[in-house]
Amino acid sequence: MTAALFALLFIQAIDSTPPRPAPRSIAVDERLAADAGLELGDRVVVASAPGGAGDTVIVAAITRGRADPSEVARADYRVRMHLDELQRLTGYGDRVDRFAVGTTSASATDSALRAINSAAFGFRAHRSRDIAVETSRTFLVVSRFHRAIGVITIVASAIFLLCIMLLKVDERRRDIAALRLLGISKRSIIRSVMIEATLVAVLGSAMGVALGWLASSIINWHYRGVYRTPLAFAVVTPGIVELAVALSLVLGLGAGLAAGRRLVRQPPLDLLTGRHESRRTARAAA
Amino acid sequence: MTRLLVARDVKRDYHMGGGGGLVHAVRGVSLDVDDGDYLAVVGPSGCGKSTLLNLIGGIDRPSSGSIEISGERVDTMRDADATRFRLLRVGFVFQRFYLMPALTALENVELPLAEAKVARKERVARARELLAYVGLAARLDHRPTQLSGGEQQRVAIARALANRPRLLLADEPTGELDAHTGAEMISLLGQVNGDGTTIVVVTHDEDLARAAKRVVHMRDGVVVDDRRQDGS
Repeated sequence: MTAALFALLFIQAIDSTPPRPAPRSIAVDERLAADAGLELGDRVVVASAPGGAGDTVIVAAITRGRADPSEVARADYRVRMHLDELQRLTGYGDRVDRFAVGTTSASATDSALRAINSAAFGFRAHRSRDIAVETSRTFLVVSRFHRAIGVITIVASAIFLLCIMLLKVDERRRDIAALRLLGISKRSIIRSVMIEATLVAVLGSAMGVALGWLASSIINWHYRGVYRTPLAFAVVTPGIVELAVALSLVLGLGAGLAAGRRLVRQPPLDLLTGRHESRRTARAAA
Repeated sequence: MTRLLVARDVKRDYHMGGGGGLVHAVRGVSLDVDDGDYLAVVGPSGCGKSTLLNLIGGIDRPSSGSIEISGERVDTMRDADATRFRLLRVGFVFQRFYLMPALTALENVELPLAEAKVARKERVARARELLAYVGLAARLDHRPTQLSGGEQQRVAIARALANRPRLLLADEPTGELDAHTGAEMISLLGQVNGDGTTIVVVTHDEDLARAAKRVVHMRDGVVVDDRRQDGS
């Protein structure tokens, strides 16, 4: 097979055709095979228009599309067939809109570009790399947008986590006051709060990573089914895991330290009797 | 008999917020307590008895006056020294027990020992011994929520005795207990005193006050009566 065509052709399954000498072969993508119920060895008629005269061919291969984001939302089917047959069916002869030239080295690419651009009027040659960059600009924008959402989420979560941590430690002010009254030093109390905060941060980030992995698996399973592509729509990379754990530790330890220091600075009797609360309320009222 | 506690002309004033002015909680209390004594401080609510106990224990600082325990000035101690002093020299028992809810009875008693850097093996042995002493040998691994009020107070007493303090300070130790459990607690405190620990207890409980060797009555921040139970 020497040519590929985004299926503008119309394929019609046939049950029984009179025997003809050596029918040509085609390859269809798996979405088309699934939708049309085609299997290897099936005979089909390919034509350039519905109901038009066409050629009977044999499905010789079922191909799987590449994990290409630019093709995810495309609904058209892809069929590969012999070039001469394609030319004949479409009636274009040897006219083409675009074609690819394979080169053996970077210097060969440069000379091919120069030669085509100077000699072939009406054509413009580009490096495949440049085309890839150009076509992926949309994805870059989307990716940056996602990153911005991620950063906002992380900042909001960090503030939330900090507040929760402060509240949780504050809830235990009586315990901490009692410890201070019993002669437990400020340093020991801060250390125990920090150890607890570290454990919470590590466990929390581990649970977060597990939850993220589960969510990404569900998202991938769903959208791979919807778009019938092997593309990964959501990934949990080692970098993301490292960032999550590091951020969680820094925030957890920071919040633990802030909350612990805030509490041990209060006289234990005030903590025990809630006098600091009434002072705070009085200050707030003032 | 050795003098354990000497308080001289101790005053404690509080500035109340919101234009409440100055409150004189303790107005010049002088008190001597001998080693091995058992003193009950009684009086109406707000008379300054709990404040006096807090001042003796180094939890609070007097506005003026001096407090010495075993020759050490408590009123001038830095915060860290006062904390260390409370850990090693004084035991506290509170009305509401203040046990750590996440720890077992044994671990609660181990807490002050761990802070005092007692080796693990030794502190477990000491905590077991103390819990057996207060009658809770079978409840070592129970958490506070699995214990009755009386049992929690017993754990609190065991914890207060962990570092072998010479002075035990108790603020309404029977305040949260029913009459029967309160009587058991009074008996336990008598036993602790009998074994050589000096006790200063602040209470409204007449039975507890009767069990003490000496009763100090306070009113409006001053001592109005101080007598031994034998009538002296």
